[in-house]
Amino acid sequence: MRCTWWLRLGALAIGLTGTSLAYAAGDAAQGKIKAQSCMGCHGIPGYTNAYPNYHVPRVGGQETDYIVAALKAYAKGERQHKTMRAQAASLSEQDMQDIAAYFNAGGVQ
Amino acid sequence: MTGSFTMRKRFMLVFALACFTPLGVLAGGDTAAGKTKANEAGCVTCHGQDGNGVSPRIPNVPKLAGQYASFLAQALKDYKTGKRVNAIMSGFAANLTDEDRENIAAYYASQSGLRVLE
Repeated sequence: MRCTWWLRLGALAIGLTGTSLAYAAGDAAQGKIKAQSCMGCHGIPGYTNAYPNYHVPRVGGQETDYIVAALKAYAKGERQHKTMRAQAASLSEQDMQDIAAYFNAGGVQ
Repeated sequence: MTGSFTMRKRFMLVFALACFTPLGVLAGGDTAAGKTKANEAGCVTCHGQDGNGVSPRIPNVPKLAGQYASFLAQALKDYKTGKRVNAIMSGFAANLTDEDRENIAAYYASQSGLRVLE
């Protein structure tokens, strides 16, 4: 816990480096339209893919910058998951922002 | 007839095992131990005690509260093995055991935050 502030500072620095330049803020209404194919897995409570064998993550309420970063990492192949790579590769930066805005606002407990 | 019935039973057994084994393995996290470890290991520094982050918020840090334990444990494992790469998380995950991962995952999964899309 001593190094708490150093950790936060480091995390902040890395976070800012990865922050994209000027893109319009996400539009949740547009995101809902663009997120139709996401729902097949992320809209089903307790859904587990056969492979890999863990639950498809809950994304309702998730932070927008994290969602965008995750989608970019999938699109580039930096984060490995065949389905997510295929999905993310088809999205523009604006699509990602819109979908992230929808995820952040959406969902049920 | 008997032969095909046996084959069917065998198939059903294998299918049942395939269905339930992963969930069974992942169900055992101890939330109290997870809380202790999340503090010791420094998870709470960015993700917060309640899994919804800290204030002021640190960019790109996800909420963990209410996430599926199996997903969280897998993420930690992938950071450790290098399948998933993040400059900060790789360092934290490197020191965690299987048990630590299950416990931390159970701790954050038990909290309220993330939701399933509708």
